[in-house]
Amino acid sequence: MKLPTKEKWLWLVPLIAVLLLWEFTAGYVIKNPLMLPRFSAVIFSIYALRNVLIADTLISLLHFGIGLALAFAAALPLAIGMGWSRNIFKAIDPIIEILRPIPPLAWIPIAMIWFHLTHYAAGFIIFIGAFFPILIDSYTGFRDVPKVLVETGKVLGCISDKKQIKYIAFPYALPSIATGTRVGMGVGWMCVVAAEMFGVSDSGLGYRLFQKFYFLHQMDYVVAYMLVLGLVALCLDRLFRHFVEDKLFKWKKGIVK
Amino acid sequence: MNHKLEIRNLTKTFSTEEGEMGALEDINIEVTPAEFLCIIGPSGCGKTTLLRMVAGLDHPSSGEIILDGKEVKGPSPDRGMVFQEFSLFPWRTVLKNVEFGLEIKGVGGKARGEIAEKYIELVGLQGFENHYPYELSGGMKQRVAIARALATEPAILLMDEPFGSVDAQTRNVLQEELLEIWKRTKKTILFVTHSVDEAVYLADRVAVMSARPGCLVKCLAVNIPRPRKRTSLEANEFREKLLMLLSLERSKACISV
Repeated sequence: MKLPTKEKWLWLVPLIAVLLLWEFTAGYVIKNPLMLPRFSAVIFSIYALRNVLIADTLISLLHFGIGLALAFAAALPLAIGMGWSRNIFKAIDPIIEILRPIPPLAWIPIAMIWFHLTHYAAGFIIFIGAFFPILIDSYTGFRDVPKVLVETGKVLGCISDKKQIKYIAFPYALPSIATGTRVGMGVGWMCVVAAEMFGVSDSGLGYRLFQKFYFLHQMDYVVAYMLVLGLVALCLDRLFRHFVEDKLFKWKKGIVK
Repeated sequence: MNHKLEIRNLTKTFSTEEGEMGALEDINIEVTPAEFLCIIGPSGCGKTTLLRMVAGLDHPSSGEIILDGKEVKGPSPDRGMVFQEFSLFPWRTVLKNVEFGLEIKGVGGKARGEIAEKYIELVGLQGFENHYPYELSGGMKQRVAIARALATEPAILLMDEPFGSVDAQTRNVLQEELLEIWKRTKKTILFVTHSVDEAVYLADRVAVMSARPGCLVKCLAVNIPRPRKRTSLEANEFREKLLMLLSLERSKACISV
């Protein structure tokens, strides 16, 4: 769908309004940079911090990458089993449901003891955060494959489970796997910050934000890092949508433009 | 005379909470090569179950199904099936749907495309090869399903109320096209329907089934020359005969309930 130029840029209006409101409120109403630094001050901070900021972002992305890759690699085979076989589901679901409500941050002590102060410790927390959304959305996809599609496959020669999964269940479940991965990425990114904040790591965006800037009450730096955290997550999500969802799911009504 | 398909003493019972329930009782049908046989009966008479057993998707409790001298043990691409529900793989284009059975069989890319193209033309969908199922009307979807079932060159084509979910006008067109396809491919067709009109228009013979537990009441040859006129006197007389038989069966069913 093509929007006229005017509508295309409409989103900028409220955004600029909010930024102006922020600048004005911080500068002329609150007048205390500790309570609320000005938007302009935050932008200058981002510029001032650019070198360390890029290094920290890369470290956090490394943690994120480790955790997400492991979560995906572990969740997908399990999801196929749980979605495809009623018995595997019955056997594993109780364990999953006991582990799932434990907040990822509660795993921090375990992560520290197991992996010490390495990137893997932070990666582990992200793994815990991203694993469950990926698992649950994916197995729902495999479980909900319409019977008629499976039977059509059988009649056309997909006799073994392996073939039915490869040719029918997997393509059918792909959108669910993608949704789970997207949700998992969101949760994972939140875990990055929290894990680094609470000292699973001695570097990264979350570490610097909390352990360095906050302890020195450099609030303009803190807010600068907050903005970066949001923007990185936004970029990750957009990239995923652009490269995975839009490319892969042309066959789904509603996504097609 | 050689039979294409023989159904001998076929009985099917389902186990339910209230005990064994008879679905089909002692069915005997012989189908000659290139015959168009319609199976008709009140709803719940087990006509779909009968077809599914020929497809190998359900297993008989006793009796046997013999196709080309070999007993049917399970699903196989030598029996093509068209379901009542729309059963196209939504993530595959028309061409890829039609190619599916060949792909599973291991037919190479180029030969596969040529065969698929032939059947797409047979159902009159040339030009739609790269469309996804959501872009097609109900009638077109069923045409693709027919092409897909035929592409593996099955010995027999099984159709389970394939035009049940398209509108009445489209249905008439599809029936005409199916007769044309039948004439050109000389397939043996087993066609389940609840529509008397459909049976009279299409079939060489009509097998009338009784209400549950379903058994074969009568096999009637439709001796009306083709092309048939839906409103001709002979067609009407035959329709009358079928309706009488069916209402008799329905009234029996009501008493037994």
